[in-house]
Amino acid sequence: MLFAGAALVAGAVIGACTSDEEQQQAQATEQQQQVEQQQQRAQPEAQVSGEPRGNTTQLVQDRGTLKCGVKQTQPLFGFRDDQGTVTGFDIEFCKAIAAAVLKDADAVEYVDASDASTRFELLADGQIDILIRTTTITSSRDMELDVDFAQTTFYTGQGFAVRKDSGINSTSDMANAAICVQTGTTTEQNVADHFTDIGLDYEPTGGLSQDVAAAFFEGRCDVLTADASDLASRIVVRDDADDYKILPQIISKEPLAPGVRDYDSDWKDVVNWVVHGLIRAEEIGITQANVAAMAADPPNTEVARLLGVPFGDGDVATLGFDVVDAQFIQRAIAAVGNYGEIYDREIGSAIERDCTLNALARPLPSEAVDCGPGEGGILYALPYR
Amino acid sequence: MSNLAQDGEKLDRNRMSAQAPVSSPSPGDGPTPTHSVPLFYRRGFRRLLQQGLYIAATALLFWYVYDALNLREFGFGFLDDPAAFKVGNQWLTDVDGVTSSRIEMYLVGVWSSLRVVFVAILLSTLVGVAVGVARLSSNWLVARLAMLYVEIFRNTPLLVQVVLVYAIFLVGAPIIQEVVIIGDFAFISNRGLAIPWPVPNDGLWGLPDWFVGVWVALLIAIGAVAMTVRRTRQNRERETGQPQFANRWAFGIFAVGALVTFIVLGLPVSIDRPYVEGTRYLEGMVIRPEFAALTIGLTLYTGAFNAEIVRGSIQALPTGQTEAANAIGLSGYQRLTLVILPQALRQMIPSITNQYLNVNKNSSLAYAVLYDDLFRVAGIIQNKAGHALEMFFVIIVTYMLISLVISALMNFINSRVTRVGV
Amino acid sequence: MSEQPPIPRPDQRPLPPAPGAGQRRIVLPPHRQRARRPRSVRVREWVRKNLFPSTAGTLLTLVAGAIMGAILVGVIVFVFFGANWEVITHNRWLLFAGGFPHEEAWRLWVSIAVVFALIGAAYGTWSSFGRRDHLFVLVVGGFVIFLMAHGGAAIWSTVYFLIAIGCMYLGYAATVWMPRETSTLRTLQQRIVGGLLAISLPIVLVILLVGGEVGPRHIDGFVLNLILAPVGIVGGVLLGIPLALGRASRMRSISLTCTAYIEIVRGAPLLGWLFVALFILDDVIGGDLIIRAMVVMAVFTGAYMAEYIRGALQALPRGQFEAAQAVGLTPTQSTRLIVMPQALRISIPPMVGQAISIWKDTTLVTVILPLRELKGNADSAIAQFEFTPDRIEAYVFVAVIFWIVAFAMSRISQRVERAQGVGER
Repeated sequence: MLFAGAALVAGAVIGACTSDEEQQQAQATEQQQQVEQQQQRAQPEAQVSGEPRGNTTQLVQDRGTLKCGVKQTQPLFGFRDDQGTVTGFDIEFCKAIAAAVLKDADAVEYVDASDASTRFELLADGQIDILIRTTTITSSRDMELDVDFAQTTFYTGQGFAVRKDSGINSTSDMANAAICVQTGTTTEQNVADHFTDIGLDYEPTGGLSQDVAAAFFEGRCDVLTADASDLASRIVVRDDADDYKILPQIISKEPLAPGVRDYDSDWKDVVNWVVHGLIRAEEIGITQANVAAMAADPPNTEVARLLGVPFGDGDVATLGFDVVDAQFIQRAIAAVGNYGEIYDREIGSAIERDCTLNALARPLPSEAVDCGPGEGGILYALPYR
Repeated sequence: MSNLAQDGEKLDRNRMSAQAPVSSPSPGDGPTPTHSVPLFYRRGFRRLLQQGLYIAATALLFWYVYDALNLREFGFGFLDDPAAFKVGNQWLTDVDGVTSSRIEMYLVGVWSSLRVVFVAILLSTLVGVAVGVARLSSNWLVARLAMLYVEIFRNTPLLVQVVLVYAIFLVGAPIIQEVVIIGDFAFISNRGLAIPWPVPNDGLWGLPDWFVGVWVALLIAIGAVAMTVRRTRQNRERETGQPQFANRWAFGIFAVGALVTFIVLGLPVSIDRPYVEGTRYLEGMVIRPEFAALTIGLTLYTGAFNAEIVRGSIQALPTGQTEAANAIGLSGYQRLTLVILPQALRQMIPSITNQYLNVNKNSSLAYAVLYDDLFRVAGIIQNKAGHALEMFFVIIVTYMLISLVISALMNFINSRVTRVGV
Repeated sequence: MSEQPPIPRPDQRPLPPAPGAGQRRIVLPPHRQRARRPRSVRVREWVRKNLFPSTAGTLLTLVAGAIMGAILVGVIVFVFFGANWEVITHNRWLLFAGGFPHEEAWRLWVSIAVVFALIGAAYGTWSSFGRRDHLFVLVVGGFVIFLMAHGGAAIWSTVYFLIAIGCMYLGYAATVWMPRETSTLRTLQQRIVGGLLAISLPIVLVILLVGGEVGPRHIDGFVLNLILAPVGIVGGVLLGIPLALGRASRMRSISLTCTAYIEIVRGAPLLGWLFVALFILDDVIGGDLIIRAMVVMAVFTGAYMAEYIRGALQALPRGQFEAAQAVGLTPTQSTRLIVMPQALRISIPPMVGQAISIWKDTTLVTVILPLRELKGNADSAIAQFEFTPDRIEAYVFVAVIFWIVAFAMSRISQRVERAQGVGER
């Protein structure tokens, strides 16, 4: 059916082009083609077969499962346990979104997006509905590729891991060093740019993330470069973790965010506000444990609004979503807990949170000087109203 | 290639001529007199109709695919844009990804692939001959060992072999801080194997670097002379029956010529000895673990198939050949190199060629061992620039060109082998 | 390439005289029979002849023995002392079926039992189990059961596996009693077993996918290899036959397009075609990636199969075509009844080689596509916290598993060749 649709539109274009006879001016043809192109932009589903886009929310609800593109080979963020179950930090967000949209946190179909080189194609191709795979937002990805990014779930930056006894303390010590780097990522470009800027040369060894990490730990490279969180996750699981260090130098910003297809603002909104809702829940103290009690008896109007329950004798304050019901955030919290709980459960043991970018922003600069638990970052949920 | 089609046509003609005198045409598709048969039942018309339908169907299919591919942006202009990535494992080239274009990076990848393919073909042939002969050894243990090798490496996936070789090398070889020095000139660690390598230098008379090219040209000329001498001596030996020591003469001429020109030109080449500084190799030539893993994996895998081909070709020889060689008192080695292998060669070349073509295609498994071959570089370019169809077109054309070169070389060798009376 | 007659496969030995197959054993008259010497003498003679015939031979034996000993010691040390096999035993379900739903695992067991029973029936129909076959089943079965039993809670899967092996012997016992002489009953038996074999793949797919909540996306781990390879092989043969005939066709347009198809497909590596499946085919056929992977496997194998069949067509004696003409068969009839059966029989050895090759090539789907077969799940296993250093163990295990199936395939193909009498004319 989709082929038929694509063929019809294509046929219309061709028909339009060929019916332009010689009396029509070339300009008119051009204009017509531009119109056609604009029309195609407006209806992007006509360009790409596979699954229709533009209304992924509806698609997911009709299908009854969420296709989530995740990494399956990175400790902490996305990997598989011995029963074949995919787990990790990114996976919690898939579950939260599935709980919000489908009312079932387990209605997720995890698609392997471990290979950085092919991940965006999976999204564009309709093989996945959402890409939650330690993917950095960049301007060129946003503009050139068929991907749109929702709220960042994890802030990190590109760092360098070295052996402690290597004598390397910053990138200026890395002249002609052998550097292991994952191909198809922003890290690959960042490191090339950085070494151009500081005027040094290096010898790259590139490949899949887990392969280059293994090569580094065997001593193939002097330096492993990746997102600092990635480096931490790979070092912390090792017995000889003390032999390695991550340099304090961070050469880039790497905001990792869920990716959705372009031209699908409803779906992006849902993803966006689920993430914000999980952060807001942490800000106002709603947890997986107390969410049911809070929903039964909301302490204030905001909690009631967030959880989609009436406050006192009032009506349910809808947030204006027509694609999901008012209690979508309540379900997400009930399924996976708030942002802080997810963090502590999945990566808290390995990656420090307090006073990092991934902690909540302080309520007001004057109120706190030291970072309290889970504070001192830039995590800042937008208001639900 | 399409022998059968020609055969079929010949067959057709034969049959027609054979049946021409027969007055009553046979039923079926024999030649039928055209006047009494309706147009629809005439063979020519039917064939035309079939072909027409076929062409129409194929054209429709093509149109559908072409249409679906949406080729509005088809073009190769993106290959001229700056690459903005680096590739490792470069040898003789030093293209940094920052200023060079994507097509340059791709050519670097092609060069990397070619090196792997060349070395793997060479080594797998040696392994194949050695193991193939060993499988037929009368020594029970040797034959078993060869069989074990063949059965293991032929029946496991090349991908797993390659990653396994790479993993074993990384774990097994010492780290660079504990580098093993072999005989004071070669180094081995899991950064790779560093060996001495000839480099051009100024020499005694201070000539420019390119002068080494003159020496190489002279060497080729001397080699040609030596080969001519060898052939004339061989011919004379065949005619007169007197031993003429053709090989010794040829080798002597070449060695003396090379030495004299080398000295006359003022020692234009020196040997670079590698050394370790910090955590890297300097000078010499470094065989990187990625290259080694891919090449060894390809060699072991293809070697197992080659061994079977060699064995099959030897077994296909009449037993009389071995017996005759024994009868005239040849040693085992002479029997093998003078009688058995030259004859088996003719039989094995077509199959071996096939294996070489497989080596070419299998080199794409570099994707799994961090080696930047053409497929991987193409993948990186595609990841950055899109244009999957164009990149695939480039990839397939490259592989086909390499295959064509290999086929052409093997055909040349084949024609030599089958022409010369061994 | 394929113009050459197929090289005889390695272990192709002459047919052992089947009991009662009409072959007479030659009995020498008493005065020419040599007295049977004692066993020790015979052994000593064999050793001298095969291991120590001369100084050079002895040296060779010693060197080979040293190499073999070193390999043996290395393997034993690695397997029993150096390696941490927990990465395998702990992840056996991940490696075997990955994301396949646990509650639907019976589908896997039933499929395995069906396939095993069919293998047994095929053996019973066309061949017979020898001592080596029993040994192979024993060793491999023991290996699998060891893996499953390690860590408890797997008693039932062990039982199911034993039942599956029992099914194989049951299928064998059900067919092997039939006398081998041609008879109506025997023909019927061959037809039934052959037909079941031919539709075994759809049967298994029905068992796996119909009803319940198992979808193509759940096919994961080793099960994916086991599904993908037969699809590629069967699809390849089905595609290869018309392609071969088309390439040999007298009609220019047909032979040209078929030639182009074969040469272009053979021109690029399988990785390249998987790249096409991911990046280019989405606009043409769309659908689930596993379906696209199957299509690519079949399309790729088809080109190679076509070449082998074409080689066989060319190797057929001209007389076969002429004889078919002479008895008045139409071209379609002669192709169907005379040419194709013979060509397929001749091309069995290279086609099995290609089948083994595609079996090994199923590892490649993980490299490009987001499908995780055995090698991909081994990669996932070594991403788990406690197993990151155990790469070599994981890959060795994968290699062993692939080896077992490929080796069994090559052995079965030798049986088929012998049963079909390939290479006997």
